[in-house]
Amino acid sequence: MAENILVIGGGPAGLHAAIELAELGVNVSLVERDTFFGGNPKKFKYKYLFPDLQPADNVIGELVKRAESNNNIKKYLSANIESFKEDGKKFNAVIKSSAGSETKTFDSVIVATGFEHFDPAKDSKYSYQLFDDVIDIKDLERMMGEGNFTRPSNGKPPKNVAIILCVGSRDRHVGNQYCSRVCCTVSVKQAIELREHFPETEVYIFYMDIRTYGFYEDLYWEAMEEHDVQIVKGRVAEITSGPDNTVICKGEDTLLRGPFEIPFDMVVLASGMEGGPQSPEMAEKLGIELDEHGFLKQANVTLSPFKSNKDGIFLAGACTGPKAIADAIVEGGAAAMKAYIYAKKNS
Amino acid sequence: MEYDENGVSIVSNDFKKEIFEEAKKDFRYEEYVKGCLNCGVCTGGCPPHRFFDFSPRMVLQNCKSNDPALVWGMMDEYVWACFQCFTCAMICPFLNNPGGVIAILREISVRRGFESAKKVLKPYSRVLLKLTAYGNQLSPDMIQPDFFPDWGPHIGYASEDLPLKRKAIPMPTLQVTNLAWDVAPEAMKELYTIFDEAGVFKIIEVVDPSLYEIIQDIVDDVRSE
Repeated sequence: MAENILVIGGGPAGLHAAIELAELGVNVSLVERDTFFGGNPKKFKYKYLFPDLQPADNVIGELVKRAESNNNIKKYLSANIESFKEDGKKFNAVIKSSAGSETKTFDSVIVATGFEHFDPAKDSKYSYQLFDDVIDIKDLERMMGEGNFTRPSNGKPPKNVAIILCVGSRDRHVGNQYCSRVCCTVSVKQAIELREHFPETEVYIFYMDIRTYGFYEDLYWEAMEEHDVQIVKGRVAEITSGPDNTVICKGEDTLLRGPFEIPFDMVVLASGMEGGPQSPEMAEKLGIELDEHGFLKQANVTLSPFKSNKDGIFLAGACTGPKAIADAIVEGGAAAMKAYIYAKKNS
Repeated sequence: MEYDENGVSIVSNDFKKEIFEEAKKDFRYEEYVKGCLNCGVCTGGCPPHRFFDFSPRMVLQNCKSNDPALVWGMMDEYVWACFQCFTCAMICPFLNNPGGVIAILREISVRRGFESAKKVLKPYSRVLLKLTAYGNQLSPDMIQPDFFPDWGPHIGYASEDLPLKRKAIPMPTLQVTNLAWDVAPEAMKELYTIFDEAGVFKIIEVVDPSLYEIIQDIVDDVRSE
């Protein structure tokens, strides 16, 4: 008899895990809280993915298509796990969706509930939601996805744009000491896209450190060398309103200019990633542990990063910490292998 | 006292080390100095940074360097440029408190009666005298251009015709210029007890011995009433 495996979350990690398991002949139940698969990249309409700027739809759309066309995957949309109980080595779950409640027994479980974008309104110094022209990384991604690169306040092309890194990350005031890993590369990518779309627009990136790790560094150098993106070391201390419908970024250029107050037409806040409310919810529901950063806790960060602290429950993607889409997809496959081995041994 | 080309008083390396150790021993130091990655948020938001060569980021960096010479470099004029508004502490992503470090360094400067402390506190000797003599902190007759240059270009106008200006205030006042309010002798005595316990009189003795003598005469008078 085929194994039954539950995959919670239909983003890049969950989709990939479900597809891999289905291709092994496993009966997969894929549970997604939203009305669609594809996770945050779909929800916020990511347009191009770093590092090669390939259309997001090539990746996310492809994963969704493969999952949707696979008959071994039972799809549950607008769904959640209503109750969850261990039963020996197996798990009994009640899946509630628009089609009603369904009770099923699973041999193993993969949690791939992802992350939430940090809400910049939580950090008042950035005046997000106070000024129309202060937007964040996901807002710009969605705007660009819709082909719109203009200022929200008046629909005109911006003369200059400030991109501010580490919003909601590496900041004890907002409770997130960790680095969100991808925002630097996404911001560099967005800076290039802005420059390509509006060659007259000056783009500044304000940083504490630029963390375009590994090969993502290529994009960072490209932004500087080929697109003349201004990269300034100094975190912005305050955003206020300026003359002529501008917003003023105030801070210290710690290497070159000293203190600055520069009026910008548009400010993009590179808001980081958080475990979101779903992480503690999953931890409580499934009886697994939460880490000190608000993400789900890996059994061993080096040796068994895809295992939770509970046998038979595995973790994949950004639910265990900030990571790139590419990494989430890799983890979906790795967790699928772990979940399959566990199911095989115990079914 | 001799000064180097940066206006920093010349002292021995051992003395610089002693001062730095004294700062680090302060019970608040560990809480005020955590990590620093030079993001510049503190200095970007620092009001005095707009007017002086003062940077809370440098305060933190100097402390983190563990170099007593860099910390000593702030002990003369530098520490007195801070407004003590603690904006830096409010916005530092690491929860450092550069303004708090300044407070620790200033206290050392005052306790030890450094020249810079004496100079900076000179205008405040009049405040202390007023406080000990009358229990008032500031009265109109103390507003004089020489002592409050930081009040800006209107200080001259503000210090003229005080009795007349007092009369123009549209609410009841004491109609005098040497007092803001009346303080009962009992309250004064309690104030002296607090000053004694908190070591305020001792600090005044170090920073301004002649002022200390005047104040002690007043204190003795009030206490014997």
